[in-house]
Amino acid sequence: MRRVAVVGAGMTAFGEHFDLGIKELLPMAVSEMAAHVDKGLDRADIQAAWFGELTTSDGFPTGILADTCGLLDIPVTRVENACATGNDAVRNAFYGVASGAFDVVLVVGADKVRESSARSTFWEWAGLTRDMAWDYPLGLVAPANFALHVARYLHESPATKEHLAMVAVKNHKHAVPNPKAQLRYEITVEQAMNSPVVVAPFNLYDCTPQSDGAAALLLVSEDVVDRYTDRPVWVRGVGLGLDRVMHQHKKDMTTFPPTVKASKAAYAMAGIGPADIDVAEVHDCFTGVELISYEDLGFAEKFGAYKLIENGVTSVGGAKPVNPSGGLKAKGHPPGATGVAQCVELFEQLRGEAANQVDGARTALAHNIGGPTAVSAVTILSSQRG
Amino acid sequence: MTTVAAVGTYLPPWGSARGRVLGPDEDALTLAVAAARAALAGAGSEPDVRRVVFVTRELPLLVGGNGAALLAGIGLPDDASVVEQVGGGPAVFDALAGAEAGTLVVGVDATETGAVGAAAALVAAGDGVGVELVGRVVRSLPVHSRETGGGVRDYSDARLERERGVGVAIERLDLPDKPVVVAGLPAKQARALCAGVPPTLPTTGASAALFALAALAEVGAGGLVLAVEQGSATALRVDGVPTVHRDEPALLAPEKLTRTPGPDIAISLAAYERAFDAKLRWDAGKCDACGTLALPPRRRCITCGSEDGWSLTPLPRTGEVYTTVTVHVPVPGLPTPYSLAIVQLDGVEVRALVKVTGAPAGTVQIGDRGRLVLRRVAVRSGIPDYGYALYPDTADAAAGAGAGVTEGAVR
Repeated sequence: MRRVAVVGAGMTAFGEHFDLGIKELLPMAVSEMAAHVDKGLDRADIQAAWFGELTTSDGFPTGILADTCGLLDIPVTRVENACATGNDAVRNAFYGVASGAFDVVLVVGADKVRESSARSTFWEWAGLTRDMAWDYPLGLVAPANFALHVARYLHESPATKEHLAMVAVKNHKHAVPNPKAQLRYEITVEQAMNSPVVVAPFNLYDCTPQSDGAAALLLVSEDVVDRYTDRPVWVRGVGLGLDRVMHQHKKDMTTFPPTVKASKAAYAMAGIGPADIDVAEVHDCFTGVELISYEDLGFAEKFGAYKLIENGVTSVGGAKPVNPSGGLKAKGHPPGATGVAQCVELFEQLRGEAANQVDGARTALAHNIGGPTAVSAVTILSSQRG
Repeated sequence: MTTVAAVGTYLPPWGSARGRVLGPDEDALTLAVAAARAALAGAGSEPDVRRVVFVTRELPLLVGGNGAALLAGIGLPDDASVVEQVGGGPAVFDALAGAEAGTLVVGVDATETGAVGAAAALVAAGDGVGVELVGRVVRSLPVHSRETGGGVRDYSDARLERERGVGVAIERLDLPDKPVVVAGLPAKQARALCAGVPPTLPTTGASAALFALAALAEVGAGGLVLAVEQGSATALRVDGVPTVHRDEPALLAPEKLTRTPGPDIAISLAAYERAFDAKLRWDAGKCDACGTLALPPRRRCITCGSEDGWSLTPLPRTGEVYTTVTVHVPVPGLPTPYSLAIVQLDGVEVRALVKVTGAPAGTVQIGDRGRLVLRRVAVRSGIPDYGYALYPDTADAAAGAGAGVTEGAVR
């Protein structure tokens, strides 16, 4: 396989874009990416595109991407893999280039969550992820999916609800300098602990907001990388992991096996381990998920995640900064865009251009989990060619 | 002469001194199933039930699948016959008096306005108490009425009802002696008609007739039992005290629930039909090759990978909470808050994801034990969607001796 590099990255701000449809968000993200390619991009160079979108709005996704971004003469493939859609789109595009099939490809992720009324969103989205007869009617709202895991995790591990609040406080703080983030304000542990209960054990500040947004990356082969930049970011590893779909079939709910599998695959491909990661964007749709993921990604020993958040290890300035962008928690979470936007953030981190820069970051990891909790995708990026 | 082998009763935990009320996940069908299962528990052995007469004025569906859901919930074969009958106490006694052995007569009150409850009587060939029709009068005095479509009317004339309704009906019956229990009247009126002080019944509709049979246990002897409804009445003579199994938890104040309007909850009737038997009978799919149980049943065995086939097998109805959460955020179409739990079933490698019932949201904890009971999980685009919910033992324990107790028969 050939080496693959990211040479351009861009994204819209994440937020409730009532004034912008998918047909506006897509060209905005792609144009911002194109504008940030160091040596410029002739759009005619793009040979193929992968588009991650969880839902559809305004019609079928690939056609809309091709139509709205002026890409009518290339193949476009939609990727849908629950909340792991973004990093799985990156993974598929990576193989398109690594295999030798293409030299220059586009990855886009987007979703328009706030296109539906707040009341109808729940049942619409539940319909995407639940067994229609068995689980759908139970009212297993998105936070409940993850809360079932986190409730058991809090029962078995020394972590407490206060540690969940600390994750929210950290990620809110990280989002403040990020112009693309949805919730750019600091909160305190007390505020988080006293906010309204959404799904116990999650309070309001344990949960990601509902977001619209789009993000785009340009991936190229090592053969043509010099045409676009002298400071590429290399895709060093990709991985995807799955698990049983229904919660009642997951034996140990204090861990997400898909994350373990996906990260193992990505580390193996990159030839590195968790200790080599300088900065990570981790799927913190709910605060407790970030804690469990520390362990699944190998950043902490089993049930040791609370120590990392307690000691500031995962804050910017700590030894293993997680979610310098603000994470899903504060940057926002349009599912298809989320994983791609994590890579946009890490592209900037590894080039030393991030709004909330981690000093000296050379190797980075992006992580998604969804499905609910049945699929994970991990991408490892590095400024080092390897 | 009809022989009643056992009487089963069920009351929801929710309510006040004025009477019990439906839980958010209950309707006439779930009440009927609970009472019928109590009657079968009271009878002890597995009786051969061939016919169910379901009497209520609150049938969940006027056209549709009540019968199949009833049989599945009670655990009866799908070739038993079901009579869905609109009626009150006198109709229940009429059904009981003419019933053949192998009939389960179930009376249910599930109104939004009055006291709710359910009771069932199992008619069998063997041991039991004899029940005989003494008299019946069918008259019209519709002081309370309900139109097609549900509009309720109340004429509001208690004296007319008492004098020209019940009063004339009893006069016409020309009873040989005073009843020991009367179903269908407020306690004070019932007392005035009875020999001695009759037990107070929890309901006044269809279920009240069978609660009256159960009340003979408190009277301590058989006797004349009367069921009245507006202008009509039926009298039975019961020759002893039947075996009674009560599923009557202690009273809890109803939860303050938030109901959020929104679009209908979608249903796929194709998926509903495929899941129906396992979901309403609480059965797992058992792998023909290795015996592994799967809930829901699945084509490819979760353990050995065999796709050669599986058959339905009953699941244990008790278990322990592995994890639980409580949803507080408003969800359109579902009353909030509600608790969900993953329950490790006893003695098998099966966990179930279910709602919690019979206990206030947020009170069940990891490690708590409970039993699985049929409830209405949701109403989806007008269709009641039944499945199982966890009734925590902590709620049962709070109920004290009233729940799940069988009283011995006295002749």
